Amino acid sequence: MKLINRYVSEVGKHLPLIQGREDIEKELRSTLEDMLEERATKAGRPADEAMEIELLKEYGSPQKVAMTYNPHPYLIGPRVFPFFLMILKIVFFGIAIGLSVVTIIQLLSQLSTGAMFMGADFMKTILQGAGNIISTSIGAFGYVVVAFVLIERFVPDFKIDFEEEKEWDPAALAKEPDADSVSRGELIAEIVFTFVGLAILNFYPQILGMYFFSGEQSFFIPLFSDVFLQFVPWINLIFLAEIAVDIYLLRNAVWTTATRVAKIIIEGASLVLAIVFVRTTDIIGFTAESFANSPFTPEQAERFVTVANVSITIGIIVVVVIVSVELIKAVIGLVKSLNKK
Amino acid sequence: MANTESLENVVLELRRGVIVLAALSQLSTEQYGYSLLKQLSEQGLEVDQGTLYPLLRRLETQGLLESVWKLEEARPRRYYVISAEGKKILPKLKKEWSDIVSVMKKMLA
Repeated sequence: MKLINRYVSEVGKHLPLIQGREDIEKELRSTLEDMLEERATKAGRPADEAMEIELLKEYGSPQKVAMTYNPHPYLIGPRVFPFFLMILKIVFFGIAIGLSVVTIIQLLSQLSTGAMFMGADFMKTILQGAGNIISTSIGAFGYVVVAFVLIERFVPDFKIDFEEEKEWDPAALAKEPDADSVSRGELIAEIVFTFVGLAILNFYPQILGMYFFSGEQSFFIPLFSDVFLQFVPWINLIFLAEIAVDIYLLRNAVWTTATRVAKIIIEGASLVLAIVFVRTTDIIGFTAESFANSPFTPEQAERFVTVANVSITIGIIVVVVIVSVELIKAVIGLVKSLNKK
Repeated sequence: MANTESLENVVLELRRGVIVLAALSQLSTEQYGYSLLKQLSEQGLEVDQGTLYPLLRRLETQGLLESVWKLEEARPRRYYVISAEGKKILPKLKKEWSDIVSVMKKMLA
């Protein structure tokens, strides 16, 4: 029986870390003992080591036996695979867009700092950007895989209902995608975010800023300067108009010439405002003066102010890009729908 | 070579579902793994241990079987028996099986 015991614990070593490992070992041992006993009875002599060896050889290698108990011979199974692919696509797409924007901003800042805008520098930034996209994508791929392996192992009930799995209507294929239909999810998200933006700007502009703590003392520098706060009524006007149009669209579910024109006016106004922000100085509260009472040295403060201002400018540029895309989409939609008529 | 391999694969696929039905049908009285294996073999269905034991565990997690450890002849044995849920679906599986058999019989005649 010594060999059987060793065999069973060897199988146990190769069993996946699932519940009931001891149970499997116990059941296996009892089976092997039964089989050995049967052999001994047949042979008409007590079981010996040679009989044990013969039995275990027939039963198969411990790795092979352990494998048969493995309910997960894969990292990411068919259950979560479609969702895995979907997330991977979103992540890769996001990385490509995000890092492309960063690279473009780098190129622009090279231009604006008056640095030599030579072919070599230009290519270097672009190649670095491409390299970043590739290496970040590989890293992100790893994280997504790890996340899904954990879901596969530890969330047995994980299930995402894809729309295709629901009652699928073949008539949907026959229908041409309607350029006039609106995307409800997009609209709802836009309304929610615009409301949040409005609430922060009007009721809690003081919560955004930098908090510093040094010992007992705390120190706060607001993000929005007085110069910025003068613009709030204009931002309100644009945001409220945006919400009004979105709610109207949500109720009517189709674009009309009137709503398209309204959207173009709103996006145009946002664009103008964003450009004004880029060109206005002292738009944010992080200035050398605001650091006058802080525990920072003037050099530290200056460095911080520079970094903060550059980041804000980059942020506004991103907004300009997004708003421009929206504007172009709205104009194209309008031209197309007018042509149809 | 490739032919025997694909033949084996198809046979394996065919048997996989049959073994579930066979095991469920034989477990109206409780049996431990090895005794079930012998009982199936006596009736002409040879099943590999490496197939049967994991299958029994899977059917138990699916709620179609119940199991209990019993000490017999100084040896603990895990006895499996069909659960209430299993009893409910067994007639449906049997019906499904006889439908398949009659259709295939006609088709292959």
